[in-house]
Amino acid sequence: MTALPAPSAAATDAASADAASCLRLEGLGRRIGERVILTDIDLEVAAGECLALLGPSGCGKSTVLRVIAGLDPCDGGRILLAGRDITRQAPARRRVAMVFQSYALYPHLDVERNLTLGMELRGVAPEQRQRDLAAVLELLQLGDLRRRRPAQLSGGQRQRVALARALLRKPELMLLDEPMSNLDAQLREELRPQLRAILSGGRAPAMYVTHDQQEAMGIADRIAVLRQGRLQQCGSPRDLYHHPANLFVAGFIGRPQINLLPQADGTVVAVRPEHLQAMSGGGGLPVRVLSREWHGASQQLLLESAQGQLRWTCDGNQAIGDDLRLGWEPHHEHRFQQSSGRRC
Amino acid sequence: MRAGTRTGLVALLLLWSLGPMLWQLYTSLRTPEALLAGAAGLGGGWTLANYGAVLGGDPPFWRYLLNSSVVGALSTLLTLALAIPCAYALSHRGGLLRWLVGGGLLAAAVFPYVLLFLALLQAARQLGLANNLLALCLPYAGLQLPLAVLLLQAAFAELPGELEESAVLEGFSLWQRLRWILLPLMGPAVVSTGLLVFLFSWNEFPIALTWISRSELLTLAPAMARIAGSSVYTVPYGAFAAATVLGSVPLLALLLLFQRQIVAGLTQGAIKG
Repeated sequence: MTALPAPSAAATDAASADAASCLRLEGLGRRIGERVILTDIDLEVAAGECLALLGPSGCGKSTVLRVIAGLDPCDGGRILLAGRDITRQAPARRRVAMVFQSYALYPHLDVERNLTLGMELRGVAPEQRQRDLAAVLELLQLGDLRRRRPAQLSGGQRQRVALARALLRKPELMLLDEPMSNLDAQLREELRPQLRAILSGGRAPAMYVTHDQQEAMGIADRIAVLRQGRLQQCGSPRDLYHHPANLFVAGFIGRPQINLLPQADGTVVAVRPEHLQAMSGGGGLPVRVLSREWHGASQQLLLESAQGQLRWTCDGNQAIGDDLRLGWEPHHEHRFQQSSGRRC
Repeated sequence: MRAGTRTGLVALLLLWSLGPMLWQLYTSLRTPEALLAGAAGLGGGWTLANYGAVLGGDPPFWRYLLNSSVVGALSTLLTLALAIPCAYALSHRGGLLRWLVGGGLLAAAVFPYVLLFLALLQAARQLGLANNLLALCLPYAGLQLPLAVLLLQAAFAELPGELEESAVLEGFSLWQRLRWILLPLMGPAVVSTGLLVFLFSWNEFPIALTWISRSELLTLAPAMARIAGSSVYTVPYGAFAAATVLGSVPLLALLLLFQRQIVAGLTQGAIKG
């Protein structure tokens, strides 16, 4: 997600301004007592870019946000925001806004007061407050709700108020901690493009924590996969899907899960379910159909082979119990070290 | 439980807790003769003379009410002003320190303070605090501080941490967070803690009795004792009852005034729906 091309004379200025307004994590670490939560996280988020932190629960992804915001201390490494080292700065001075999973709206204040109290206490001039408030109410369609208390709002409305409050902070970095996890599946899908548009409309980099890979792929420009406090891979959704850096990422990204075929030489061959294809003639891997799920556009087959169970996404009319032979194009094959999980 | 049984039990409870107060009210409105005649004289013998006697005494009764109100209000304010920062700090501490301080506070809160009053009297003499109405606030606030800190700390701990973190990221200072976010949400807890402190200083007897001897500075409890013991030959039941009734009126008014806060659950819907 890059900005519109600037007029030629100002182009280099704009480029350096972009570089200056990015977020950089250098060797970020966090531990609680003896327990290591985060190890050596290196990440960079450009201005206007949205990076999703994806991982199973307990992998430390929310902790990354809390350390960046200054809510949790940083036990190693540096945090650079817009060229400033904010590692040891007080949270309030970092100019970072965060949308919490719980939204953390002030329950005793109505929507308008929730949005304006912060501006008022930060000393924003009254006319400016009114202008910003009107703009954000319009952007997030909150105008009709300004007199309601948080308890009188639905989940989706609360999320919009929380987002509005974060935008009014005019942050240099936007952090979102599972902002959709309290919403039902349908609403989540409706809100995704809206949220994406709002995040990429701002100049600030955004970091988005989620455990839902579909959400990550739908919203983020790039995804960083975390496991047990370590960064596994960071790249575009396409990169992660087609070039997973290790076994964990290969297995974590993509539904249905990738097929893993252990080899005699200590490596594992991984092939996506949709990349398997039926072979006519002698070659290929002999399999038998165990079960079948029909999804309309495609069907899922669960197959039994000598090397374990496989999943195949296809559109034939195979029946349970059929014997087939399967193969795949060489460029669709991923190979990993069994022991380290690393890509060969 | 059947509705009839429940009504009966509630009525019994009400009678049990309100009975003595109603008896005092009845006593305060009867002439001494009617009181001594017992239930036989229900028809006549009603009078306001007891109230007249109490209010017209020297000093008049409203003086004690005023003294007690001033001491109560100041003790409450002092206690809350000290307890709120303590409770906030304690609720943000983890581990051993919180456990130790919490345990110490609990021990102090349950300590029978009556055992201290001689030592406190000595201290008051040395420091020249005797016969000083406002000085009573010092032991009162000190004695109620542990309980107040414990109650308020529990209330702070109940607030979701993300509310304050959100305010921190919005740029609120510590004072602003307390003033605009935390204390408004803790309204019920602050009010009920304050009422407990006020009630204690309103009812407190041994310290008030020993620190104050000048009659125009007396608080309610020692003043009532003086009324009760004002005559060697009779017990002035009527006057005593009238004083009791007058002494409970301000408390009732306070409770009615803050009834909503005491019952309210303002944090409802604070987090998820």
